[in-house]
Amino acid sequence: MTTLGKMAKYAFIGKITLRNQLAYIIDFLIRSLFLLLILYIFLQLWQATFHGEGDASLIAGYSFNQIMWYLVITEAITLACPSLCTRIEEEVKNGDVGYRLVRPIHFVVFHYVEYMSEAAVRFGVNAVLGGTLGLLIIGPPELSAGFLWLPLAAAFGLTVNFMLNMTLALCAFWVEETRGIEFVYNKFLFTIGGMLMPLELFPDALQAVGRWLPLQAVLYIPAKTAVAFDASRLAGMLAVQVLWIAVIGLAVAWIYRRGVKKLNVNGG
Amino acid sequence: MSTEDRTNSASYYSITEHDQPGKLRRQLSFVLRSWTLNLAGAMEFRLSFLLTAGMMMINNIVWIVFWGLYFNRFQVLNGWELHDVMMLWAVSAGGFGLMATFFGNASRIANIIATGQLDVYLAQPKPVLLHVLISRMSVSAIGDVLFALLVFAIFGDKSAAGIAKFGLAMAIAAVIFIFFSVIVNCLAFWVGNTEGLSIQLFNALLTFTTYPTSIFKSWGKLVLFAVIPAGFISYLPIGLLREINLPFLIGALAVSALFVACGTLLFYRGLKRYTSGNMMTLRR
Repeated sequence: MTTLGKMAKYAFIGKITLRNQLAYIIDFLIRSLFLLLILYIFLQLWQATFHGEGDASLIAGYSFNQIMWYLVITEAITLACPSLCTRIEEEVKNGDVGYRLVRPIHFVVFHYVEYMSEAAVRFGVNAVLGGTLGLLIIGPPELSAGFLWLPLAAAFGLTVNFMLNMTLALCAFWVEETRGIEFVYNKFLFTIGGMLMPLELFPDALQAVGRWLPLQAVLYIPAKTAVAFDASRLAGMLAVQVLWIAVIGLAVAWIYRRGVKKLNVNGG
Repeated sequence: MSTEDRTNSASYYSITEHDQPGKLRRQLSFVLRSWTLNLAGAMEFRLSFLLTAGMMMINNIVWIVFWGLYFNRFQVLNGWELHDVMMLWAVSAGGFGLMATFFGNASRIANIIATGQLDVYLAQPKPVLLHVLISRMSVSAIGDVLFALLVFAIFGDKSAAGIAKFGLAMAIAAVIFIFFSVIVNCLAFWVGNTEGLSIQLFNALLTFTTYPTSIFKSWGKLVLFAVIPAGFISYLPIGLLREINLPFLIGALAVSALFVACGTLLFYRGLKRYTSGNMMTLRR
């Protein structure tokens, strides 16, 4: 099959996933109300924090407006990510993985296309909801070219997150239960990954650690690119994301090759 | 016996020894036996049990790290210090842990009603609501309870009075969690399957209880104390543990009692409307 034919195959998988997600958009909209709740709480928290700092205009280089829009973006991306570990764990447990592996579709690429299509719809809904709340309560963000780069940085961030989750999810080929590991991974993403606050607010030592980890590429870089755009640092930040995609991608390929030989399919 | 007959005889199942000597003791023995069997079931897969409970502890510890980082940068948050937020997490996680460990079905009642699984409980000679509540134990929630005790051991006041106050705070939090959950899940008797809505409402309560009350202003504070009773849990570290604020403590106890009464009443009112789907189920 030609490369073009292969790409068309995966494009169709993406299209079907998008249509599936759009069919339940109202249901997803209702479930996304949690995003509004958490943004409301953070709004109160950071209002109190800025007030406590003597109504400071900047904290660690961020204005109140920038911090709030930073949180809108990190929360919108976080809540857009489907649970890959749950999906693959179920496939391994009920034997569906057997059917998946014999199809003329690469297991990892199939999940990537499905994951990204689903995340795109969810991110769109979250961005609309969070953006509306932001415009009504926080006020418009300080517009910069960063918002034009956000879709690309978010797509790279979601790809890094997919790769990291895939390394954990593939452990299901050995141990079946992986949701616990995913749970802990998500919590690291929330803290040292910069979901709850920008890395600049961390102590210096932790900031240094954070900058060597791939977690910053998932949420911190897309949100920072949008709200505190610095044209001179853009290429460097995108390069960090691409580098991590390549490095973790290689790790995924290696784990997959070993795992698929080890896998015992139950039933089906 | 029809559902209505059964519900009409709810008074028969009230916790009183009038005309039934030894009934309270038998019920306590039933509750203790249920908890013992639930724990034995959880311990059957010991490694899984330890991993699940351990993961929940790690989950909570990450939030503690977040607040540690926050207070490392900002020392005080509208009068709240790191110690208060640690105790807030101890009380909230502990209260939730007690609910999910000992009354694990509280958050599943809507699903049980909608899928017709109440039949199993109606057919047995035990108080229906109590029986439903204690029939499940969440293994991960044991991690929440252990986390609460650990945080208390590190940050709490370990004097006799301090231990008593912490025990009372956890009990108030647990009662509010249990009966708020019962109330929102009982909507399923009238509206159909409201599992998603019940989970959303309960998550809203749980989320609000893990942030200091002092960050909320005007309408936010009103919602916290008048609509979602989260304020009666999240203010406990200040109004009970730091220093006893009598009006607040009386209010928290009154709200807890009100939730117990409303939850129980609503459940048995709803039970009159319950219709079996004739689904064959077994207790697991």
